Amino acid sequence: MKQKLKTSVIGSYPISINTQELMNGYFSEQQISWTQYIEQAIQDMTAAGINIVSDGQTRDPFIQLFTRKLQGCRIRERTEIIGRVEHQSPIIIQDQIYARRLLPRHVELVGVLTGPYTLTKSSVDSYYHDEKELAFDFAKALRKEAELLGKRVDLISIDEPVFSNELPEYATELIQTITNGLSPPTRLHVCGDVSGIIPQLVDMPVDILSHEFKASPHLFDEFQQYPSRKHMCIGAVRSDDVAVESVEEIVSHVKKALVLFDGNVVQIAPDCGQRLLPRNIAFQKLKNLAAAGEMLNGG
Amino acid sequence: MFSFTKEQKVFDISGLTIGGQPGMYPTVLFGGLFFKGEPDFDDAKRHLQTSYEHSKRTGVPVIPDFFIRKVEYIEPILSFIEKVVPKKHPFSIDIIEPSIKIQTLEQLGSRKLLPRTIYNSIHIGMTKEENDALRTYTPEAAIVVAFNPKDKSPDGKIEVLENGAHLLEFGLLDIARRIGIEKLLIDTAALAPGENSGAAIAALPVIKEEYGLPTGCAIHNVVEKSRWLNDFPFAKKTVDVASNNAIPLFGGDYAIFGPIENVELVVPLIAWQDILVSEYTENYFGISPVASHPRRKLLK
Repeated sequence: MKQKLKTSVIGSYPISINTQELMNGYFSEQQISWTQYIEQAIQDMTAAGINIVSDGQTRDPFIQLFTRKLQGCRIRERTEIIGRVEHQSPIIIQDQIYARRLLPRHVELVGVLTGPYTLTKSSVDSYYHDEKELAFDFAKALRKEAELLGKRVDLISIDEPVFSNELPEYATELIQTITNGLSPPTRLHVCGDVSGIIPQLVDMPVDILSHEFKASPHLFDEFQQYPSRKHMCIGAVRSDDVAVESVEEIVSHVKKALVLFDGNVVQIAPDCGQRLLPRNIAFQKLKNLAAAGEMLNGG
Repeated sequence: MFSFTKEQKVFDISGLTIGGQPGMYPTVLFGGLFFKGEPDFDDAKRHLQTSYEHSKRTGVPVIPDFFIRKVEYIEPILSFIEKVVPKKHPFSIDIIEPSIKIQTLEQLGSRKLLPRTIYNSIHIGMTKEENDALRTYTPEAAIVVAFNPKDKSPDGKIEVLENGAHLLEFGLLDIARRIGIEKLLIDTAALAPGENSGAAIAALPVIKEEYGLPTGCAIHNVVEKSRWLNDFPFAKKTVDVASNNAIPLFGGDYAIFGPIENVELVVPLIAWQDILVSEYTENYFGISPVASHPRRKLLK
């Protein structure tokens, strides 16, 4: 039987943070809860009709989200590495637990990890002076988080945008450090132009590959040269453009992927995290994506 | 006791000097008025008189910090400042509600009090309207509260000053400077016990070394938030007053010490601490205290 195509998000979602309220909490000695921001993201994603949602990655941009809580990291203008990178306590687990509580039973949750190479290349290293060693320590720390995450989510996605610019020769081993033996399915998201690294990507130790096919439609042709049985998540709406794609446009785009990847397209999603879009635009894009998903599934 | 490698800025705020290397200038004190209830101007006048007398005797400057809680208090409090605070003497206005801040700024402008005003404070909760009002009615100096709800460590405080911790488009220092305020006093944002309360003190030398700006905090707030001290009522007042000692000891430049009623206790305490710091920093680093320093005034 043909597998149902699921709609998903990649990770981040734009929310409005009330800094006045945060400051009032400081003045009045009240703890201000962050849960309202997770609620905003979850509410929009579920109201749009998305099948696999995230917690919205509301607390920080995707680098600081992890480096803020990893030992050995200090946040300045960029993250600085000032000691050995180690996992010291759960990083995003509480937000997944809270997000799960908000979800209807039929909606799945993706836990998103920023990849070790992206964390490495986004940091200023004042400790290791050895990129590979730093990358593997990030990977080991993320592995610990992934093990905790595996008990809480339906899918683990590793976000490695830097791979499209620079793929280290140890990239596969790095991803393997995180995914080896994990129970939930895994997805590797690499946005940008990945046309030069497709042979390596299709051999990555993950269940699903996710790329920005909407902003880079030439990727359809590039992937055609490397037949693979790897499951695919197809970027179907842009994350860097406020123009909202129509349902018909999304359907037409995904149909190309269905032909090219045969039965291996399992998810459709935005090209990337939606953090930089206005909230109403991000929502409308998700809504149209969900409608397109239903149409493609014969709804 | 130490000295900073970063050049330390010294600001003249309507005749008051603040900042510099530890041991050079006396620690500046901010004493609060009108925190609770209806403003009692007779009481306030008496406390101000006491604070100025203590300042004169010790060399420790005391700046009145006027808390304005309601719109209807703006006019009488500013009139009080005009009449009672000595001409050219600086004062600070301490307001939480943005709309009251804006109305107060307008009145400070029309009364020509802005050159004497220390604005308490600029922080992550600043509204666009408040920012606009500050551009029109720009005070002489401002306290910038380095509160970062994401990270309460000294690093987190620097992050919010530097880039707004991704809660704001710009860092708080950049925001203040774009408004046109150059005389910035950093408040390290003291938090309750259990919320990394020690970070406010640890951040004093870290921030001074990073920016060279006058830095302080309201460390006595941590005492107020230490509920267990309510079981020791005799000691609580002592702890509240003594908490301010940590600020000059860690290289800080000013203390917001709470209600001005405590001025008779806090001023001698800080004078004593300033003498202690100055003796060491002069001996070891060659930092000579200015003529108005408590060491010059009290040790003859």
